[in-house]
Amino acid sequence: MEVQRQTNLETFSSKDLEKALQRIKKSIWVFHLNTGSCNGCDIEILDVLTPWFDVERFGIKLVASPRHADVVLLTGPITIKTLPRLVKALRAVPRPRLVLAIGSCAVGGNIWFNSYATLGGFPNIIDKLDELGIIIDKVVYVPGCPARPEAIIYGVAVMLNLIKQKSHYKKVKT
Amino acid sequence: MVKFVKVIPIATKVGTVTIKYPYAKPLVTDSFRGAIEVNPSKCTGCGACTRICPPKALSMSIEGETAILRYFIGRCIFCGMCADVCPEKAIKITKEFELASEQVFDLYVDVEHEVVTCKRCGSKFVTSRLLNKVEQKLEEFPKELLYLCPRCRRIEMLSKQTYLR
Amino acid sequence: MESLSTSSEFENLYSYLKRFSDRLVEEEDNLRIVVESEKLREVAEVLSKTEGVFLRTIAASDERSVNGFYKMYYVFGIDKIHRNIVIEVPVDSSDPVVPSITDIVKAADWYEKEAHDLMGIKFSGRTLYKFVLPDDWPDNVYPLRKDYTVQDLVKLYRPEIVTKAKEVEAEAAIIIPIGPYHPALHEPEYFELYVRGEKVVDARYVGFMVHRGIEKLAESMKYDQVPFLAERICGICGFVHSCSYCQAVEKALKIPIPERAEYIRSIVLEIERIHSHLLWLGVAFHLLGYDTGFMHIWRIREQVMILAELLTGSRKTYGLNIIGGVRRDIDRDKAKKCLQVLDNIEKEFKNFVDAAINVPQIKSRLRRTGLLPKSEATSLSLVGPTVRGSGIPRDIRKDYPYAAYKYIDFKPVVRSECDNMARTEVRIYEIFQSIELVKNFLDRIPEGDIAVDSWEPEPYKFGIGAVEAPRGEVIHIVITGRYSPYRWRARAPTYQNLPAIPIMLRDIELADAPITIASIDPCFSCTDRALIIDISSNNVKSVPLNILSLKSSKLFR
Repeated sequence: MEVQRQTNLETFSSKDLEKALQRIKKSIWVFHLNTGSCNGCDIEILDVLTPWFDVERFGIKLVASPRHADVVLLTGPITIKTLPRLVKALRAVPRPRLVLAIGSCAVGGNIWFNSYATLGGFPNIIDKLDELGIIIDKVVYVPGCPARPEAIIYGVAVMLNLIKQKSHYKKVKT
Repeated sequence: MVKFVKVIPIATKVGTVTIKYPYAKPLVTDSFRGAIEVNPSKCTGCGACTRICPPKALSMSIEGETAILRYFIGRCIFCGMCADVCPEKAIKITKEFELASEQVFDLYVDVEHEVVTCKRCGSKFVTSRLLNKVEQKLEEFPKELLYLCPRCRRIEMLSKQTYLR
Repeated sequence: MESLSTSSEFENLYSYLKRFSDRLVEEEDNLRIVVESEKLREVAEVLSKTEGVFLRTIAASDERSVNGFYKMYYVFGIDKIHRNIVIEVPVDSSDPVVPSITDIVKAADWYEKEAHDLMGIKFSGRTLYKFVLPDDWPDNVYPLRKDYTVQDLVKLYRPEIVTKAKEVEAEAAIIIPIGPYHPALHEPEYFELYVRGEKVVDARYVGFMVHRGIEKLAESMKYDQVPFLAERICGICGFVHSCSYCQAVEKALKIPIPERAEYIRSIVLEIERIHSHLLWLGVAFHLLGYDTGFMHIWRIREQVMILAELLTGSRKTYGLNIIGGVRRDIDRDKAKKCLQVLDNIEKEFKNFVDAAINVPQIKSRLRRTGLLPKSEATSLSLVGPTVRGSGIPRDIRKDYPYAAYKYIDFKPVVRSECDNMARTEVRIYEIFQSIELVKNFLDRIPEGDIAVDSWEPEPYKFGIGAVEAPRGEVIHIVITGRYSPYRWRARAPTYQNLPAIPIMLRDIELADAPITIASIDPCFSCTDRALIIDISSNNVKSVPLNILSLKSSKLFR
């Protein structure tokens, strides 16, 4: 099994992306999309809004429609029944499309990554979405089962280029 | 009737509970299970962790001249079963949860092992560390049989009369 | 605990069953009878007429490689004497047809649809359509049959991304994203509400979008890996699924788990109940427009999450269970901390809920809405706080005791008003009761091991494990195999409770629909969007549910 780097497609140049990210650093509006998750990550997302973590002090707010969203919070391993609706939802998000894939389901498919009823996580459908013309400009993956509220805040900070990520590919020899 | 106004004194009494992460330290208890870390000096490449891992985040494969134990943080469920099962206690559970990454590629950690080649058929069947460990434990084992893969070892034992007593 | 054959009330039932079939096995908790499919309706008729007998679950199993036929297991429970009656019906493998019993036992409806979808068993006397699997799944491919491995199924079907909507054939419908108005709990399910003016006339439910193929997956995993799989069936009440699975296997193989492990499991189960009820209460307040309530309750709930992390290692999906016991112990420091936190929560919660429940909006919107009459609740065999709010005291902790509940005494919380307020009160008082139970357990927990040293798997043994989840009864059936479960049937409480929604939604104001749907505490909460189909004007529009719900609140300003 080869592990390869993904390359971003060039229709939205990286300079445009930088400018767009600067703009939304002020008040980011997020939209939550559940593609068949167990709800563990979803209640942690909601927890991030409650008084102990209070992400509203950064101006982050949840919106009801993908057309108002800056960032899409995606959870779930993308089951076969939710795929058409996911496509419709993502199509409605205006450019730049930023996706935060939260939880081990969305990043790698979790325990059911090879089940007949799921597609195994977000990385497996990025190509399919590209074919349909839905270009995802930036994805940040937040592992965790469920992902802690602090890990979600960290993920948002990486998305907005406020922090450099700590994870890097490592190979150690014995 | 006006009982509900009692909420106001409750709110004022409690004050603020917010933990101002990331400007303050996060509230992590002692028992928290974060990402795991494989100690390369202790790991023998036996593969026990890969067998128990529910989402198969730990996998072992032989690529070219080496065997690679691959840990995919993206699929890990942070259950800690691998640490419980490892016979060498080479897996440590850290408290790391700030794992976000822009590329799936960065969520892999590989541990590379040297492999032993079968003297008869040339296939690579086990890591050299594990073979050494087994050799130490079995004192009376004939050396010629040790460097054969399981299939060749069976053939060798059945064909040579000296081993059948 | 009386046995079926000696209990006076059910003596007639027992002698009838004995006459019926000679293949009858009486085990410790279960009475297993093999009945031919022609006689199934007769037996179902008698069981449904006997008072105190409820349908618990139905499972279909592919036993062609072992016995040469399929088998349907119908599990009926008699709460009073803590016994199950398991009706086993062998089904011919070349033409699998079983008579449908939905007209006699209303609760069997969904189970038959699921058995048809996933195992391909036909039910005579009713028409069936695709229920769990998507509409374009290939015909005659039944995932749970042993003919297919998981990889085979992946090769047979991968979904196509269709660019046009297929669900609603009305041009007035806007493109519907899965936009939950309340992001946290919504699994993507939706309800279609048929209205006449402002009153709801009927409701249709479209779901199973979270079907991940868990039962099939477990057949290729080892025994000790399945508790982690089971825990992720639901992120809010996951620990009950893992306990239920472990109990089913332990019962099937007669593994004696140490008492300390039973107490630890019960303590964590009660902590999960506290967190789940607080979560529900916060969401209910939000649905009624009272966001202050939501924020305060979740502030109080956070302490429970931190406590769970201290005791088990993770805020949710605890990973504590293995077959034969638990993985982590509760030492003296942790027990002390636990008591401190619970005292704190009890004080704060009492203070707050006193003030919150007296908010005029909340009181008037919860009283007398969403009525669920006692007779309907009985005939549908509902479970959990839903049924305890209608005056029926069903609680698995009392009826089929398990873990440390065998050693203590307590009374389930019951209310008889049958409306939304009754169900809310049941949950509030259950929080206080759970805090008392944890204190009780921590007091009496014995010393000892926390897991058995080793155990041996034996193939083809049958076991039933049931646990009282915050939402109701969770029941798992396990038929063991050599290295992994041969058949695992997991049934969550919401599955049993959902058919009650159309009944509760009849003739209520549209604005009361969200809180009514939420009052059964669906494990995926109250949908994302509702499609409102106005019959009188033939108008279809889709409206976010929070807007819908706030309409009524405005009347109180």
